Amino acid sequence: MTSSFKSIEENLKAEAGKLLESGRVEIVLAYGRGYDENHPMPFVAKHPSDVANMVFNEYCIHNLARYLVRYPRGTKIAVAVKAADCRAVIQLIQEEKIKRDDVVFLGIPVYGMKNPKTGEIIDSKTTCGMYNPVLYDVLLGEEVHGQKIVSPYDVLADYEAMDKEARWAFWKKEFDRCIRCYACRKACPMCYCDPCFIDQSKPRWGDKSPQSHGNLMYHLTRFHHLAGRCIDCGECSRACPVDIPLYLFHKKVAKECEEMFGQAAGMSIDDKPALVNFRVDDSDKILE
Amino acid sequence: MLKKTAINKISELAAVLMEKGTLLAPVKEAAGFNFREISDAGQVNLHFHNTIISPKSAFFPQMEDFVRYQTGKSILEAAPVELNLKPVFLFGVRPCDVKSFEIMDIHFSGTGAVDPYWKKRREAATIFGHAFDLNEAADPAEFYHTLGIGAADPQGSDIFMVTKDNDLLFKSITPKGKKLLEELTMLTEASAGDRKYFEDYIARGHDYKTRFASVEPKAIATEFESIFDNREFWKNVSNACLSCGVCTFVCPTCYCFDICDETLFNKGTRRRVWDACMFTDFTLEASGHNPRTNVYQRLRQKICHKYSFSIRKYGVISCVGCGRCTRYCPVNIDIFSIVEQAVKAKWYKRL
Repeated sequence: MTSSFKSIEENLKAEAGKLLESGRVEIVLAYGRGYDENHPMPFVAKHPSDVANMVFNEYCIHNLARYLVRYPRGTKIAVAVKAADCRAVIQLIQEEKIKRDDVVFLGIPVYGMKNPKTGEIIDSKTTCGMYNPVLYDVLLGEEVHGQKIVSPYDVLADYEAMDKEARWAFWKKEFDRCIRCYACRKACPMCYCDPCFIDQSKPRWGDKSPQSHGNLMYHLTRFHHLAGRCIDCGECSRACPVDIPLYLFHKKVAKECEEMFGQAAGMSIDDKPALVNFRVDDSDKILE
Repeated sequence: MLKKTAINKISELAAVLMEKGTLLAPVKEAAGFNFREISDAGQVNLHFHNTIISPKSAFFPQMEDFVRYQTGKSILEAAPVELNLKPVFLFGVRPCDVKSFEIMDIHFSGTGAVDPYWKKRREAATIFGHAFDLNEAADPAEFYHTLGIGAADPQGSDIFMVTKDNDLLFKSITPKGKKLLEELTMLTEASAGDRKYFEDYIARGHDYKTRFASVEPKAIATEFESIFDNREFWKNVSNACLSCGVCTFVCPTCYCFDICDETLFNKGTRRRVWDACMFTDFTLEASGHNPRTNVYQRLRQKICHKYSFSIRKYGVISCVGCGRCTRYCPVNIDIFSIVEQAVKAKWYKRL
């Protein structure tokens, strides 16, 4: 670790305090105390005195970009972002949900983040595997260099070894366990549709009961709505109470998009979302 | 009546119960334990702390079919779905979850309007309660002690089970349980030492500490009434809330449901499906108006329903402190902390 969790926490408090005191932002989205050390929570600071309650440790896995669209347009917000979270904010800017000028990126260079449920390190397994935010206004620690770079797509090895039938059987089995609590879409920073297609009643796209066909309709549609937009933070999989490995599908689609369009989601505010942007030299692979 | 068997012979007991009817017991799955209908006696696994989904689904399944019909045909041809239940054995329920059945009985049959599905499933079931392991630390999310529930309370179970070294002790609590224990001839008679161990264990259950706050139902109902309109308080506690349905789906005392007509081609089923007050469309009216558009309003509803409305209407707190909502919340929102804040902190006065 280049900067310790403790020093990142100190910097976070200091920078958040300054931003709130100067009036540069109205809100700071960061992490606060939860019911114990292993369970910190997303936290909203509105007064300079609130920053005393901020924390940062290896369990601060939540993607705070999720909360940005909840505030009225034009609200000045500072948001603490790890690498994947930062890409989510950039993607939201690309999609014109928020404006660059309204957001202050408090970048957190970090590795060794852990899933509080399992204690396992999530770096490239369920997240994008990057250590440094791709864009920031303030950096809350020293950039991470020299740490082994692992491709976020390495975990796909077993999945890609399956043939079409095996993959279909795999997902049917996984989705049969779904209880339709919708934690995946609610934890997702890119799932901001209101209403979500699955909640619509005219027409009704999928059944409400947790059965194969309705579950498939919900998940497969959501997967495809996120094609070229998923920034691989892995929050959907961690939010799932029954541990459905949703990240596998998202990673697979992200990988294919990257191969076809030469662009990963949320890497630059000057990009256009891959599936929105038409270029004459776009890949036709999908039609083959 | 106190009987016993070796824990490694639990599959033999399971096999006997499966012959007598349907056995629902904890099974280890990918993400943790859940109660499932047992098809292979070897699946029963008592090495669990608690299940992900509460055992309410034994009586109130996430999906319950009511009527089958065909579109375009007369309503007279629609066929109600009859429940023909074999005896059900609900095996290994923790004391806090057993308590939840008593609370759910109020909603489903205690208020005059009787839900026949709930009632039938309840009557068909024999509940094997199972004390928490007192040598193991409580889960940090749990707080059943706050609700006056001991870690080894046998009330509400038909048969109550306590683990003693490599044995499992069974005590009949109700006449129904006694009758069943008599029929289970593969269990052996317990010794005087076992009897003492059992009684001591139940007593020790009250000293076993989970998180605790002094909560007097009437006082807390009043407290929540006084802050109901305090938007700052509710916005503050719901800042992190994603408004997903995890907490309500895993909760043993959440009972909201939706009635859905689900049709494929011309064959339809009218069924009950769990719903959650945390969903945006839960309060969406036909006119398009939605009285609860904000996250704080929905979280407030969930907490006040359990810690205020339920007390005013039925005199009970509709929560058993099992800690599931906290444990499975993707953003670690903790109902206990919110209740604690409401009771003692009065933080909102500084604003």
